[in-house]
Amino acid sequence: MTGIKQKLILSLIICLCMFSSTAGAVAEKEIRISDKTGDWGHPSPYLAYSRGPGYIRMHFIFDTLVWKNETPDIMPLLAEEWEYISEENTYVFNLVKNAKWHDGEPVTARDVAFTIEYMKEHPYGWVVLNSVDRAEAIDEHTVKIYMSNPYAPFMEDIGGTMPILPEHIWKDVENPMDYVEPGAFIGSGPFKYIDFNKEHGTYQYEAFDEYYLGKPFVDSLIFVKNGDTQMALQRGEADFAPITPEMVETFREDGFTVIAGPHYWNKKLMINHNKEPLDNIVFRQALAYAIDQDEFVDKSLRGHGKAASYGLISSESLWAGPDVPDYPYDPDRAKELITSLGYEWKNNIFTKNGEPLKLDVLRSMIGIGGQTIPDRDSEILKNQLEKVGIQINLISLEPKIVDNKVINWEFELAISGHGGIGGDPKILYDMTVQVPETKASPNTARYNKSEELNRLLDDLIHEMDPAKRREAVFEAQNIYARELPAISLYYPTGYYAYDPDAGVEWFYTVGGVSKGIPIPQNKLALIRPNAQKSADMEEISETAMQTEKPASKTPITPSSAVFAILSAFYIKRSKRSGRII
Amino acid sequence: MMRSRKVKIVTVYLLTIFFLLFFNFLLPRLLPGDAILAMYSGSEILVTEEMYSELVKLHGLDRPLHEQFITYLIQLAHGDLGYSYIAHASTTDLIMNALPWTLLLVFTSFILSAASGIVLGVESSWRRGGRIDKLLLVFMLLIDGIPSIAIGILFLTIFSLYCGWFPTAGAVTPYSNLVGLAYLWDMLLHLALPLATLTLSQIPGDYLLIRNSMVLTICEPFVLTARAKGLKKYKIKYFHAARNAILPFFTRIGIRLAYVITGVLFIETIFAYPGLGLLTYEAISNRDLPLMQGILTVSVLLVLLINILIDLLYKKIDPRVEYAY
Repeated sequence: MTGIKQKLILSLIICLCMFSSTAGAVAEKEIRISDKTGDWGHPSPYLAYSRGPGYIRMHFIFDTLVWKNETPDIMPLLAEEWEYISEENTYVFNLVKNAKWHDGEPVTARDVAFTIEYMKEHPYGWVVLNSVDRAEAIDEHTVKIYMSNPYAPFMEDIGGTMPILPEHIWKDVENPMDYVEPGAFIGSGPFKYIDFNKEHGTYQYEAFDEYYLGKPFVDSLIFVKNGDTQMALQRGEADFAPITPEMVETFREDGFTVIAGPHYWNKKLMINHNKEPLDNIVFRQALAYAIDQDEFVDKSLRGHGKAASYGLISSESLWAGPDVPDYPYDPDRAKELITSLGYEWKNNIFTKNGEPLKLDVLRSMIGIGGQTIPDRDSEILKNQLEKVGIQINLISLEPKIVDNKVINWEFELAISGHGGIGGDPKILYDMTVQVPETKASPNTARYNKSEELNRLLDDLIHEMDPAKRREAVFEAQNIYARELPAISLYYPTGYYAYDPDAGVEWFYTVGGVSKGIPIPQNKLALIRPNAQKSADMEEISETAMQTEKPASKTPITPSSAVFAILSAFYIKRSKRSGRII
Repeated sequence: MMRSRKVKIVTVYLLTIFFLLFFNFLLPRLLPGDAILAMYSGSEILVTEEMYSELVKLHGLDRPLHEQFITYLIQLAHGDLGYSYIAHASTTDLIMNALPWTLLLVFTSFILSAASGIVLGVESSWRRGGRIDKLLLVFMLLIDGIPSIAIGILFLTIFSLYCGWFPTAGAVTPYSNLVGLAYLWDMLLHLALPLATLTLSQIPGDYLLIRNSMVLTICEPFVLTARAKGLKKYKIKYFHAARNAILPFFTRIGIRLAYVITGVLFIETIFAYPGLGLLTYEAISNRDLPLMQGILTVSVLLVLLINILIDLLYKKIDPRVEYAY
C-alpha cells in the first residue's frame, strides 16, 4: 500500500513539474479581440456574414491580390507587381513566388483565374464581376484578367477585396453556400483556421509558419464575445475592443492606447424625390439650410462626431471634392426658399391652398453595421424643421421595415445610414443611381433626374485615366450636393482601445479595409511588430520571434486540474487496494 | 367515461400543437419586408439579381405558401427543423447547442428560486405582521420592482468589474484548454452571475404567491387541528399548511416557465450567455426565417411538455382533482 502511495505521489509531482515546464517553454503570444456580437459567420468567403466584421474575420485566412494599409497607396499582397494594359483593357498580375496554401500546396496563377471564374458562376456578395470577361493563367505566376468594360474601381473593388480561393479544393464544390467542410477554411493568408464556435461567438486562428511575408509575430489570434467589451478590456479578458466615447479618457488614464476612427459611415436623410414638394431641388435645398448638422453632432453624438459633407463622399476621403457646395445653418434662408415655391407663412406654419406643409419622417434605431442603437436624431430633426414652418410627423419603425418602405417609395423622409464612404468613390455611383442588375438598396437614392450627374457617374466607373476620373468624381460630388438626392447628416466617431503591452499596434486602414470597412483590424498589424511599422517586412518577421511573452497567464488553473484528476484517481485506487488487503 | 376524457385531452393537445406550428410557420413570413433583402440590410453590399434569385430558391420562398408549409411539416416529422442559410448550419444543431445552456440556467434558477421562495414565503406568512415578515415583504417588493436587466448590470459591475470574482461573459473561457474539474469550475464561475440574476428576479413572484396562499391556509380548520394534535411546528408549517398552499404555485409553473424562456433573453444578452434567448434575438435581428421558426417550435413544444407534466403531476400533489369531474 505504501509503495503504491509513494509511486503515485512521485508520478504526480513529476506530472506537475512536466506541466509547468512545458507551460514555460511554449511561450505563445496570444491576442484576444472582443466584440459584442460574437457570431459573424464561419470565416470563409461564402459563409461569413455580409457585414464588415464578417469580412474581417475571413481576411485573416484569405489573401487578396493587393491590399491597403495606413498610407494612401495600394500595396502588393499575393501580387507583387501589376499593370493595366489599356489597349487590350486587361490587367496583368505577377504573383509572389513563395505563397502557399495552408495545406502546403503552392498558390499559382491558375488559382486566381479559377477564383474569378468561380465567382462569376457563384455570385459572391462583396465582389461584382459584371465588368470582368475572363481570366487566364499565362504562366505559373502570371495571370491576365480581361475586362468586358473599362472598370476604374478595379484595384480596390476587386483586386483588394476578392479573396483568392484554392482551385484544388473549390473545383469540386457545387454549392458554396452549403460547403462547411475543413476545406472551406484553407486560404493563403497569415493565419490558419483552428476553430469557430457559433454558439459562444468565438474564433481561433493560428499563425501560418510558411506565410510568404513572414510568420506573424502573434501565434494565436482569438475573437471572443462579451456583453460589455469595455469590462472585458479592463479585466484583461481581451486585448483589443471597441469602447464608447465617454470612456476614452478613463482608458487613456489606465494606460490603454485609444484610437479614434476615421469618418467613413454617415447618417443620412433619405428623401422621396418623386413626391411633391420633395421633388423640387429648391425645396430640398431649403431642407438642407434648415438642418443644423452641428446640433446633431452635439446632442446626438455628444460631440463625438463630425458634420457631414453634402457630396456623400466622406470629407476625410482621398476623393473628397475641394469645393463641394455647403449649406450653413440658416433657417431664414430656408424660409425664403420655401416662400419662393408659393407657400404662405401662417401661424408659424407654411401653407399652400389652405393645406399645411406636412411631412412624415420614418425613424428607426439604425446603427453602424446593421446594429441597433437608440434613435436620438428624429426629435432633433423634427425640432429643426418645425422651426422653419414644416409640420413633422415622426413614425417609429423597425429598421428593416423602414428599409422596405424606402425601397417601395412608401415614405417622404427617412433617417437611414450606411458606410463605405471613405473608400473608392464607386460608392457615390452605387448610392445615387440604381445599379443595373441589382436589387434596390434602401440606402440608394435612385436619382435619375440629372443627365450631367449620370454622365459623371458613368465616367467615375469607366474612366481609366486617373486624373480625369478624379475630376469627374469631384464634379459629381458638386452636382450631388447641389441637387441633394439625399442629405448626409453626420459621421459618428468610433473608438477602439488596446493594451500596448500586448505588442500589437493596431491602426485604421486609409479608406477602410478592403472595400471600406472602418474597423482597425487589418491583418498587417499582426505581421509586423509595432516599433518598425514602416520598415521592411521580411526583416521584421525575424525580430518578431524575440518579443514573446508567456501565454499561459495562470498555470495554477491547468495544474490544479491535473492535480484534481490525479488525486481523484489516487483516492479511487487506494480504496480499491484497501479492499484487497 | 375516463377514456373519453383522455381522448378529449389528447385531441386538445394535438390541436394546440397543430395551430401553434401553423402560426410558427406563418408569423415570420408575415413580417413586413422582403426576407432576403432584410438579411442584407445595413450592409454595404448591393444584392445582385443573380444572388437574389439564388437565395430565394435556397429558402424555398419561390414555392407557394401551402407547399412550403407541407415541406415544413414533413421535415419536422423527421426531426429536421430546417437549414439556416445565414448561419450555414442545421437549425436543429444550432438549437441543440444553445438549449442545454438555457436549460441549465433556467432549471437551476427555477429550483433555487422555488426553494427559497417557498421557504421564505412560509416563514414570512407564519410571522405575519412581525418584523421579519415586514422586512422581507418590503425587500421582495423592492427586488420585484427592479427589472432583471438592471440587476444583471449591477451584479456585473460589482462582482465582475470591481471585485473581479467572476468573468464578464460567456459560458466557459474560450480556448482555455481546461479539462475535468477545472472545466466544471470555469463553467460554474461563468454561470454564477446570470444564475444569481435570474434567480433573484424570480424569487419575489414565488415568495409573494406562497405567502398569500399560506396566509389563507393558516386560518383553515385543519391547521388548527394539527396544532391541537400537538404536532411540531415545522411539521404543521411544511407538511400540513404549505402542502396545501403550494397548489396555486404549481398551477403557475407552466405559465411561468414560458415567461422565463423569454425573460432569459435579456439576461443572456447582458452576460453574452450562449443560450436560446440570445439565439432568438440573433435570429430575429438577422431575419433568419428557418431559425426563428425552429426556435419557436422548440419553445412551444417545451412549454406544452411542461404543461403535460404538470397536469400529470398535479394529481399526485392534489389528489382531489382526480375526483373533481
